Amino acid sequence: MYGKGLKPLSIATVAALAVSLSLVFFYAPLDADQGFVQKIFYLHVPLAIVALLGFVAGGVFAILHLRSGDARWDAYSYVSIHMSVIFGVAVLATGSIWAKASWGHWWVWDEPTLVSFLIVFLMYATYYPFRYAIEDRDRQARYASVFAIVAGAFVPLNFTAVRLAESLVHPRVFATTGGGLPGEMMLTFLASLAAIGLLWVTLVKFELTAKSASGQLKRLRRALDAPAPGGSSRVAPEVG
Amino acid sequence: MPALPLEEAGKYVAGAYVVFAALIVVYVAIMAAKLQRIERELRELARFAEQGSPGTPGREAEDVPVDSAQPPADSDRNLTPSESVGGAAERVRGGS
Repeated sequence: MYGKGLKPLSIATVAALAVSLSLVFFYAPLDADQGFVQKIFYLHVPLAIVALLGFVAGGVFAILHLRSGDARWDAYSYVSIHMSVIFGVAVLATGSIWAKASWGHWWVWDEPTLVSFLIVFLMYATYYPFRYAIEDRDRQARYASVFAIVAGAFVPLNFTAVRLAESLVHPRVFATTGGGLPGEMMLTFLASLAAIGLLWVTLVKFELTAKSASGQLKRLRRALDAPAPGGSSRVAPEVG
Repeated sequence: MPALPLEEAGKYVAGAYVVFAALIVVYVAIMAAKLQRIERELRELARFAEQGSPGTPGREAEDVPVDSAQPPADSDRNLTPSESVGGAAERVRGGS
């Protein structure tokens, strides 16, 4: 069920990534201030936006889970958060490389954007031990949903707080005053954002398909009374 | 800080894109390993279902040659996972 449409989606994602990379390296002009290093922006910022939106999506799915009691929404929420944490690792890694190239330091502690993203990332890193500390599957799903909702609400609040904080260090490419991105750069950025967004959706679908297959295998094994293989003790959400 | 020269900047840009690509490749490799495990378990389960567990009445079905065995009336029906799983379990446990 979850695997339906995965192949065309994967092809679309690969095509979108290829187009966005071509635009980044062959179409977008060099930044007047930062030069070639600014090319990292087309990877780092879309990754951050998609990761943060993924965290919020995890919260929305968690609300749907608590409202309906349907385990599918819990699986959606779990996979959304899982994928966003992976994207978060990429955000921190690419951001550090960009910081080193631009500012001469791998990390700057007095920069609110960086530290706030790290806080969000670390908060979601606790989702796994929190979830797997609970053995009862229903209770685990409920508690994880509450966590996802609270943390998901924190993400836009955190983003707003950082935007309100005055900082002259971190570049504001979407500033409301004083200009923004020129046309070619904006087009390239939007193409990159679409490609990274598609990648997120594809990987979420991929993960859900694998979880669904694994869940159905477990059900089949239980129904056939077959001996269980030496599996992990984690109680991951199952999708039927 | 002034803009880095292209040779210097190129290393950082390549580093960022390579880190991203490596992360995706690692993720896909982990998923591939998972899918391989699922496939292996599915093969084991299929073997288990074909042979039946020792001592279960379901083993009687083994005496019937595969070629001559008549498919059940609903074999080509689109069963939901729970229906098909439940039906298989009943056949193995109950032997009928």
